[in-house]
Amino acid sequence: MSDVAGATTTKRARRQGAGRYGRLGQVVNELDDRLGVAKGGRTFLDKIFPDHWSFMLGEIALYSFLVLLVTGVFLTFYYIPSSALVTYHGPYLPLDGQRVTQAYASTVNLSFSVRAGLLMRQMHHWACDIFVGALVVHMARVFFTGAFRKPRELNWTIGVTLLTLAIANGFLGYSLPDDLVSGTGIRIAYSIMLSIPVVGTYLAFFVFGGNFPGTAIIPRFFILHVLIIPLVILGLVGAHLTLLVRQKHTQFPGPGREENNVVGSPMFPVFMAKTTGYLFAVSGVIALLGAFAQINPIWQFGPYDAARISYAVQPDWYMGFLDGALRIFPSWSFMGFGHTIPFEVTIPAVIFPGIVFGLAYAWPALERRVTGDHAIHHLLDRPSWRPKRTAAGVAVLALLSALFIASSTDVIANFFHLSLNTVLWAMRVIVILSPFVAYPITYKICKELQGVHGAGKRKTPNLVVRTDEGEYVAEPTPAYPEDVLDELEPTPVPTYIEQPEAESTAPGVRVVER
Amino acid sequence: MVRRPPLARVSLAAVAATLALGPLALLAGAAGAAPGPFQTTRRDAGTPNSSQVTRNASGQIVSYGDKWITYRAPSSALTQLGQALYMENCASCHGTMADGVPAPGTVGAYPNLVGLGPATIDFWIVSGRMPAADPTAVQAPRRQPRLTPAQAEAIAAWINSILPSYPYIPDPHVKRANVATGMALFALNCAACHTIEGDGDALAYATFAPSLRHIPAYQVAEAIRTGPGNMPRFTGNLSDQQVDDIVAYVTKYIQHPENPGGFGLGQLGPVAEGFVALVIGVGLLALIAYWIGERA
Repeated sequence: MSDVAGATTTKRARRQGAGRYGRLGQVVNELDDRLGVAKGGRTFLDKIFPDHWSFMLGEIALYSFLVLLVTGVFLTFYYIPSSALVTYHGPYLPLDGQRVTQAYASTVNLSFSVRAGLLMRQMHHWACDIFVGALVVHMARVFFTGAFRKPRELNWTIGVTLLTLAIANGFLGYSLPDDLVSGTGIRIAYSIMLSIPVVGTYLAFFVFGGNFPGTAIIPRFFILHVLIIPLVILGLVGAHLTLLVRQKHTQFPGPGREENNVVGSPMFPVFMAKTTGYLFAVSGVIALLGAFAQINPIWQFGPYDAARISYAVQPDWYMGFLDGALRIFPSWSFMGFGHTIPFEVTIPAVIFPGIVFGLAYAWPALERRVTGDHAIHHLLDRPSWRPKRTAAGVAVLALLSALFIASSTDVIANFFHLSLNTVLWAMRVIVILSPFVAYPITYKICKELQGVHGAGKRKTPNLVVRTDEGEYVAEPTPAYPEDVLDELEPTPVPTYIEQPEAESTAPGVRVVER
Repeated sequence: MVRRPPLARVSLAAVAATLALGPLALLAGAAGAAPGPFQTTRRDAGTPNSSQVTRNASGQIVSYGDKWITYRAPSSALTQLGQALYMENCASCHGTMADGVPAPGTVGAYPNLVGLGPATIDFWIVSGRMPAADPTAVQAPRRQPRLTPAQAEAIAAWINSILPSYPYIPDPHVKRANVATGMALFALNCAACHTIEGDGDALAYATFAPSLRHIPAYQVAEAIRTGPGNMPRFTGNLSDQQVDDIVAYVTKYIQHPENPGGFGLGQLGPVAEGFVALVIGVGLLALIAYWIGERA
């Protein structure tokens, strides 16, 4: 009895008794005995991430989505998804006594009367704008480097779906406060639905539960925004990342980087530290914006009411290209056979985005067909190596950017003291010309870049030396050790757990077979 | 079909339109009385048809009562000075009798100023729009005023002495006003052109709704009551109390917006927000990625 007590009382004895990896090691051992986590955990911890900075753009999207989930849950505690009319009473005097919907009143209340409510709302909105922005930037990186090619077409498809869902959910969330500006947006969405030939009226009545505005739309948008679409996004993000692990990363060509390997840092410890830091960076930037930059001040807009309208309202930036297309399209419509088909709405707001996203979905197959390239690619292209693809991508981006600018024709006209009609016609010309100007310029730049000596190689500093005669000479310094293959052979990742050796714990790049 | 002279056809159409629209207007008036989400709990908002309204012999509204806005006639002692100032600054275009008939050889057509009311004359001069920098411009912009408020009042006094007319120069009592009614009325009547944040914006064919920032209360009231340029003239449909409420909302909340969320980003809305999100948000994060990642 006293023996046992004596053996377990000293800390040192307990630590020694726990084995080499301590209490945590014991717990993991127990888990491994039952679930066999060691093998999968080893694969996970040894997952190799290429170090190039552009591979982190997708992480902005991932982490801002996390911020969206956390802040969104907070907002649901206070938001009431109801179109019932109440009289607002609160600290903001211009609204005091006005009849507003519960959705609007609860949003104003959570902004003014709930501790940290406004911060959470603003962080949620900024995170959304950054989320969609990061998706677009990440998609551009994947497109211009050819990372969507075989075998990753499915992941490209999931990515395009994620972008579509993110834009849709952004619009739904923007509509929930039921303020004057977002109500106008819902009205536009209703008109766009109406403009679809044959089914439009039925579709709009089905979605809105009757004529606009009705009382059904806020609760419906709410459940779509907070449950259904986030669940789908979450599932697709899971599939996106699972495919990423399964297919392993792409990588830029370089010393030691082949089609049959991945060179980079392992998940543990290098990438884990880096990505955790990046998580804090993303949430930090969003928190700073939420704290210091005001977004969507709905108390200044007032409640939505079909009789009220404000001039100069724009949607959030990711819907801007649609707004621009609607603004500059000429007023064409077809009337006959007892029906009106408003082409001025159908073409820019239904057919045009359908073509853009359809093109995005179809691009990998289109490129396979055009180039006849059915090979598996793990090494990325530099954009300048594929001038036609790069030029096509830039042309589409130029078109969408021009449409985005066209969504603020009134702001441009007012700021530069121009006639609104002049600006409108100028934007029509610019929108049509932009892809045709962007394509040849990008093509030419790519061709020129191909001829630049050492393009894509890391630049080494020049050393300026003053000779004894007083002459100055610039001498190139030696290349970075990592850029010279002979000096550092990437360490292969072990396939079984062994006694750690000094070299395998040293920081540096690793290599794994596919 | 009987062929009628064109004038007769026009007048017939006018009669038909009056007959058709008259009951509609009555209906619209009845519908406007129905409670809507924009109505406030305040029940004593005066209507233009209330007993407070006094009209002159020709039916012009002289006053809605002095409780909410005091209309001040320009001092008749300033008439002499006003005539001299008018001849110096205005007569070359509007004519020596203020009747819009300029000296022979002057290019353009100019409005007759007689009978517009002192508030109109005062507003155009104190807002710097008159004397016009470019008489051929589609719309005169607000500028640094060339004449002082006293000089503007003098000119208004002289033109008013030719033919006494209304409205006089208003002095709204904004301390009594209800900003909640003001906001609801602003959203209904003003936001469609001036935007809900009061920044103003471009309208069709080089016309524009000016920004409402940095405008004194009495000039806001003048604009509502006189309808300068393309702006509708709000006389019969807004009571003095309602105008007072709108002026209070404009001078308190449009001109000094409450931005508890941080920088207001120029009250420009989603255009500025998208710019900040993409350049500062995504751009800064991409820079951080560039910082912690490898570059080749």
